[in-house]
Parts: sequence; C-alpha cells; structure tokens
Amino acid sequence: MKLYASPRSPYVRKVRVAAHELGLSERLTLVEATPKNVIELVSPDNPLGQIPTLVLGDGTAIYDSPVVCDYLDTLHDRAPLIPRDGPARWQALKLQAVGDAMLDQAIAVYMDEGRPAERRDEALLDRRRTRLKRCLSALEDDAASLDEALTIGPIAVACALGYLDFRLGRYFWRPEQPDLEAWFDRFAERPSMRATQHPGPG
Amino acid sequence: MKLFYAAASPFVRMVWVTALELGIADRIERIDGGTTPMDANPALAEANPVAKLPTLVTDDGEALYDSRVICEYLIVEAGNDTMLPAKGWEHWSALRRLALANGILDAAVLRRYEAAMRPAEKQWEGWSEGQRLKVVRALDELEREVDQLGGGATLGAIAVACALGYLDFRFGHENWRDSRPKLAAWYEDWAKRPSMTETVPAG
Repeated sequence: MKLYASPRSPYVRKVRVAAHELGLSERLTLVEATPKNVIELVSPDNPLGQIPTLVLGDGTAIYDSPVVCDYLDTLHDRAPLIPRDGPARWQALKLQAVGDAMLDQAIAVYMDEGRPAERRDEALLDRRRTRLKRCLSALEDDAASLDEALTIGPIAVACALGYLDFRLGRYFWRPEQPDLEAWFDRFAERPSMRATQHPGPG
Repeated sequence: MKLFYAAASPFVRMVWVTALELGIADRIERIDGGTTPMDANPALAEANPVAKLPTLVTDDGEALYDSRVICEYLIVEAGNDTMLPAKGWEHWSALRRLALANGILDAAVLRRYEAAMRPAEKQWEGWSEGQRLKVVRALDELEREVDQLGGGATLGAIAVACALGYLDFRFGHENWRDSRPKLAAWYEDWAKRPSMTETVPAG
C-alpha cells in the first residue's frame, strides 16, 4: 500500500502511529509530499490534494485520515483500535474527533501566524486559541480516561498534542494541563510515537 | 436524543437528512445551536468542547460529534443496513465519497468565513483561491463518478447532495453546474427527495 505522507503532517502521523500499533508499518510505502508538490502529486488519487491518502494495490484510494485508520483496522487480528460496536466505539470516535478538531484549529493558527502581518486577523486568532484551550481543558479534566484502552482516541489526542509542541510551542499547553502533560509524556515513549516524531521546527 | 441544530449549517443538514431518510427524526429533539463561526453557544460548548455543530446528545446523555460519527450512530440506532454498506469495496467507496463531500464543504466553509467574517483588508486572495480549486477538482471527480452515486439514500449520496446544496446556497454565482451536466442532472433528481426539500438551508 502506498501512503502519501509528510513528516510534518499530524494527520499522517496519526495514521502511521495506528499502523505501527497494529503491526502494519512495513506494509506502508511512504511517498513524501511537500507543500509545493502535494496537490500535483496527490490529486490524481485524491482530488482534494490532501495527505494522508492511502492507495491500495488495485489503485483504490482511501481518505481522509479517519477512513484510512478505519481501513487499516480491518487488516489485522489484534485488538481493534476502533472498537467494533457499543459505547466504546462511540467514545473512541468522539475522542478522535476532538483530536482532529484541535488539529484543524492548531493548523489554522499556525497558518494564520505565517500570513503577512497586514493580512493577519488577531481577533480570529484569539478565538481559535480559545477553542483550542477549551478542548485542552476538557482533556485535562478527564486525563485519566486516556489510559483506559489504546484506541484511535488517545492516538489522535497524542498526535494533536505533539503537533502543538511542534508548531505552537511547548508553553502553549503544558503549564496549564499538568495531568495531560504527564499522560502525553508517557504516551510519547511508545515506539509508535517515537518512530513518527515531527522533525525539528521548519 | 437531542441535536444542536442550525438551518444554515451543511454538516447539520447532512445529519438531519440522514435522520429523515432513516425515519428516526421524530426521536430527535432539535435545539438551537445558534452560533457564529467565531463565538460558541454556551450550552453547545458545555456538551462538546469543540463547540461545533452538529452535536448529538444521546438518550444516555453522551455527546457525540462530528457529523460523520453522528450519522454512523444514527444508522446503527435505526438498525439500517443499506445506507452504509457493511463491508467490501462499496463500504470504503461510500466513506471515501463522504470524505470528498466533507472536503468540499470544509474548503467552501473556510472560503465563506474568509469572505464573510474576516475584515476585507485582512483577506488573502491566494489562500482563498487554493480552497476554490480544491472544490473545483472534487466536483470534477464527482462528475466522473456520478454513475456510482445512484438514486438511493446512501451516506455518500446524502453527503454529496448536501455539499452541492451548500454551494448553491453560498456560491450560487459560481455555477458549479456549468461544466458538470451529469452531476447537475443527478442532483436535480436527488434534491426532490422530501428529506432535501424540508431542509433547504436558510439564514
């Protein structure tokens, strides 16, 4: 299977962590996309030109990241990362939605901070940061639940926190969320997380 | 069940069309989730820290989001086995098409915010153009694969119909139908379903 990827994409990281946890890493052939070539490279398989996009041996394209994770979760006989039914399933998917939504906001903040100063809207940036902080605060209140079971939920949250460290800086979230920080620092030691770290700033 | 709702949100529409097609809309109370993209509705933020519409609160008091998770939950609640094929190529194809429709909506909604919410002097044409082109390519793909959409209420078809409805609502002047006659014909038929005519966006 071919995975359009980038070491800087947190959604790609989520897929790669999931693959690693499921013992499927070696079946993924990574094709690296850059901000410059991503649309040209990926759009023949995914017109949105987004990564991650998975392409199967028969040419079938699978996207976006929750769908790729869902697909990978059918390829193994370990405990599923997305419980097949019942409350555990909805809990895992909901937590993934929180992690992904945090990423949407964090990426928008990072992109906005990179705009020419005269095109930057500080009021909008503040509202995005507020959204992020509300999610972080809810996660802090319930940090103990992140240790309950290894599902796509904690993986998505960990990838969101790793991305905050990478793009918005450690001080954005760590000082006010000590329990979440302690959980993340332990989770980040997992081989799946270590193998998929974002590169240095850039 | 309770659904935080707003008549202008295409993601809310997707959920409500799904509920109507499943025949379980009468089990869901709609609550005004009135919000702007900027300021969260306090009750909504209490239920869902992401504070996004739609958010469903189940009979057990659990909040569920985002729209695709809610749609899947409703399908399971209704015991429906046709809206999302259980496995195989049809299953992944439906989810991929849902992602394509969501991608159109994400890009279109971002453009709409850029144009409607950001002060004019802070808008950035280059950025908006990238989002516009993403929609153009996705629509071209849908035109190519329109034969697979079918006339029934599958999750993929619902999502595509809601995405096209949103383009009509906010970007009608860009005439997405112009170079896509097959998709236009498909939508014209599909949009006649009561689930669609009852949920035409407003506001």
